[in-house]
Amino acid sequence: MTEPQVLPLVIRDLSFRYNSRGTPAIKNLNLELHSGEVLLLAGSSGCGKTTLMRCINGLIPEAYHGEMTGDILLYGESVRGNTLADISQNVGTLLQDPERQILGTYVLNEVCFGLESLGMERSEMIRRGEEALKRLNILHLRDKETFGTSGGEKQKVALAGVLAMQPKILLLDEPLASLDPASAHEALLAFRQLADEGLAVMIVEHRLEDVLAIHPERVVYMEDGEITYQGEPAGLSQVVDYHKIKLPAADVLARAKDAPETEFVPAVPPLDYSKPLIEFKEVGFRYHEDLPEVLHGVNLNVHAGEVIAILGHNGSGKTTLVKHALGLLKPTRGSVLLEGVESKSTTVAKAARTVGYVFQSPTQMLFAPTVQDELAFGPKNLGFDKETIQENVRWAIQSVHLEEELGTPPLALSFGQQKRVSIASVLSMRSRILMMDEPTAGQDYWNYQSFMDTILQMPGFDSIIFITHDLDLALTYANRIIVLFDGRIVADGTPQDVLKDTEQLLKWRLLPTSLLELNFRMFPQTGKFQRAEALARYIG
Amino acid sequence: MQEKKSLWKFGTKQVVYAAIGAALYAVLAYATNMIQLPGAGNVSFRPAVVIPMFFGIAFGPIVGFIAGFVGNILADLLSGYGFWFWWDLGNGLLGLVPGLIYPLIQDYKAGKSILLAELFVVLGSAVGMGVAALSEMWVSGADMNTVIFANFLPAFIPDVVNGLVLVPLLMIAYAAVTQRSGRS
Amino acid sequence: MLVSWHYKYRGSPMDQIDPRARWIFSFAFLVAATSTWNSSMLAVLFLIAVIWYSLGRTSWKETRRGWTLVLIMLFTMIVVNTIITGGGAGGVVPEGGQLVWPEGLRLFGKLLKPGLTVDRIWFALCQLMRIGGISMFFILIPYTMDSRSYGATFSKLGLPDKLAYTIELAIRFIPSLARSFSITLDAQRARAFELDDVKGGIVRKIGRIAPLIIPVTMNAILSSEDIANAMDLRGFGQRKRTWLFELKYHWWDYAVIAFGLLIVAVSLILVYGYKLGAFTVPPFFYQLFQ
Repeated sequence: MTEPQVLPLVIRDLSFRYNSRGTPAIKNLNLELHSGEVLLLAGSSGCGKTTLMRCINGLIPEAYHGEMTGDILLYGESVRGNTLADISQNVGTLLQDPERQILGTYVLNEVCFGLESLGMERSEMIRRGEEALKRLNILHLRDKETFGTSGGEKQKVALAGVLAMQPKILLLDEPLASLDPASAHEALLAFRQLADEGLAVMIVEHRLEDVLAIHPERVVYMEDGEITYQGEPAGLSQVVDYHKIKLPAADVLARAKDAPETEFVPAVPPLDYSKPLIEFKEVGFRYHEDLPEVLHGVNLNVHAGEVIAILGHNGSGKTTLVKHALGLLKPTRGSVLLEGVESKSTTVAKAARTVGYVFQSPTQMLFAPTVQDELAFGPKNLGFDKETIQENVRWAIQSVHLEEELGTPPLALSFGQQKRVSIASVLSMRSRILMMDEPTAGQDYWNYQSFMDTILQMPGFDSIIFITHDLDLALTYANRIIVLFDGRIVADGTPQDVLKDTEQLLKWRLLPTSLLELNFRMFPQTGKFQRAEALARYIG
Repeated sequence: MQEKKSLWKFGTKQVVYAAIGAALYAVLAYATNMIQLPGAGNVSFRPAVVIPMFFGIAFGPIVGFIAGFVGNILADLLSGYGFWFWWDLGNGLLGLVPGLIYPLIQDYKAGKSILLAELFVVLGSAVGMGVAALSEMWVSGADMNTVIFANFLPAFIPDVVNGLVLVPLLMIAYAAVTQRSGRS
Repeated sequence: MLVSWHYKYRGSPMDQIDPRARWIFSFAFLVAATSTWNSSMLAVLFLIAVIWYSLGRTSWKETRRGWTLVLIMLFTMIVVNTIITGGGAGGVVPEGGQLVWPEGLRLFGKLLKPGLTVDRIWFALCQLMRIGGISMFFILIPYTMDSRSYGATFSKLGLPDKLAYTIELAIRFIPSLARSFSITLDAQRARAFELDDVKGGIVRKIGRIAPLIIPVTMNAILSSEDIANAMDLRGFGQRKRTWLFELKYHWWDYAVIAFGLLIVAVSLILVYGYKLGAFTVPPFFYQLFQ
């Protein structure tokens, strides 16, 4: 460890208030960061962690204006008055969404972006760029188009672009948000290695359990703009609110035993195998006759009463499969039947009456001037009469508890509310099946849990299907799990059957979690998978 | 809190808006290129023209100009149509002229703002397509009648109609988006 | 929706010419070609355009779309307007002149009196050479100019860094926005939206694109905050920028630029010094119609 007086980063009594807001976003923060350590900064959304990061990397005060007090020292010197270009050579920041961070059309262009900005000479630029790519073992991507790389690769490319600037401090802003568990684990190992090589690494993340796997030296926990815990990772579980941040399952179990939750029961009707709602028969699909098949011989029936989680790594064919159920894609071989009608002989508009599909990001679909109009869009397209539309809209908005927002523009709502409006805009068509793509993406633990609880307790659907790569989400809410791997269904059954073989799971690029382990351990008592808060009923 | 808007500022944010606007124009034009008006020469029926108009109004005249100018270049590159400087320029003006009202607008959903925007959409279409069509006279040696009936009107009319219908809708949506605060 | 650029490396002579030299030469040609209506000058320029175009080694199949567009334009301009309606042809062709069919033309048993003059036919030929030549220069660009070169090229031609970089960034986001457009289209179709629903008048038809254009645009605007942050965090716009894309002048690039400037100089001297730029019909052409 380096001498204490030249710590890479020291923060003293730091407070900041955005010009656009009345109250400070962060208050009197004190923090130190050492070379060679991983510091985990945790907290639910709105706790001020992003603001803190912007203060360190210089976006505050250059790009975001407001009132700042206290000081930030980089290697003993105050950052005040430094330009972003100066700071960028000490502090590298990896933003949440690599899709938005990547600025180059080709990998090497992306990696060299910062060096171009610094006005570096071309040969030196290439040398440094290649070095950064080698350091992350992705030199083979050098001349690829960034757009065509996978999610995990994109993140490494973005990271290489940061490392090429040779920073000594690395800030990572929710770096796991867009990755599947296996890629996330790989990324974390890379971060750990960078710290071991001497960088000071600070990770902002609410996927606590994943980060704890790489043994961060210290953990800082923030709440309402203040640091409420700073110290060993082990101590964290005792102080934080386990409703707000997802802790390892065993810790939740221990803490929840005094106030356990009741068992969660979704509002779908009882199981009914008599008449399948959706049937996949030997479905194969390719996007173009010259391209390889991406779905191979998929057989699948969906029945009333089922809550199905579709698991699989990025690129396993989950989205392609789901688009077939909707008629957005038609099989190149085999057939898909919706309530007995072949998808090839019907339109997407008609299919919408069977399957209501909610896309991942609500901003990809919201457009109307009011929530009311947004909800009426689907039923209007289906040609419902005015009264039915009115009635459906009323019912849909009540189901997601947003009655008071009917006159608000959907685009002005918070992310969580938008998510609910996007569900309601599908509900209003009265489809029999609700299908959701990554329903919890972009929400922290507290929001995601209450969101899922609300949706699954809504009456009106015969079956609910969701795509996810969150194993815990699948095992707490689904009564059936389907695993896709390389375009094939490799497992299909109850959660306890599908998830029992750890080795198999790793092969499918699914990482077993502490909650899964706990559920298996307690299964003889419980007979059903559930969240840790509810498992607490069985102990003590 | 309202920041003071300066008409000709071109910092990082404006670079991003201009680039996004240009890319968006190119993609939307490419997507709708199939619907072409017969006999309209270089002109295709593009609802995408509202992008430079709206980006001008929302982010200033330089952003509007680049969204139209670069956007049209990229749209033609994607479609394989070549490179037609004077039409690119005309499309740039399509965004620049409405952009002149950018500092005057605080509330994007106010009736007054929308009316002003509509007026400048018409003006911008006239200036932009006028310049492009007149250049055609100089480049191709067409006469005034030809220029008006074969070049100007087939470009001007759809641009104005698209602009009048879609720009207000985009402004209303944008007003909602800006209620959620961000970087300023 | 898949978008792709038409550029590919062909090992053609055009690939060996520096993009800066190519842009300079192309604009020089544009200036020269638009300075004159002299048929001999246009013929020489047309020949230069043919040679230039052939250096690109593009095939008819790939450039077909571009040429179709030019042909439509030529058709409306030359056939419909210059020949049939007989407009003033930009004030270049004098009024009156020798009619092609002085006695009129009998078509389907009717006697027509077309105003077509010999001058106009010759003018149409000049237009063909002029527009055709310019088209050859500029249709070539999508197929032979590397999309990676634009930022560096325009920066080195004197455009401010920020403007030059805007082009690069726009190119970067085209595939992302195309995908965003497809996703939104799918999301709305999942709500029973059909784009090709043709009910209603023009306003309603245009309005039907709102559910597509609004989410895609607003989404793009929302993502711009992160993009701007990513740029600022890597020092964008604070110092004079260098470019990874390599541009290098060879002796032949200087020759191309010199030749371009020569064409402009000669054209302007002929047009303004010797007053040779005017449109005239050679005597032999009149005789053809007597």
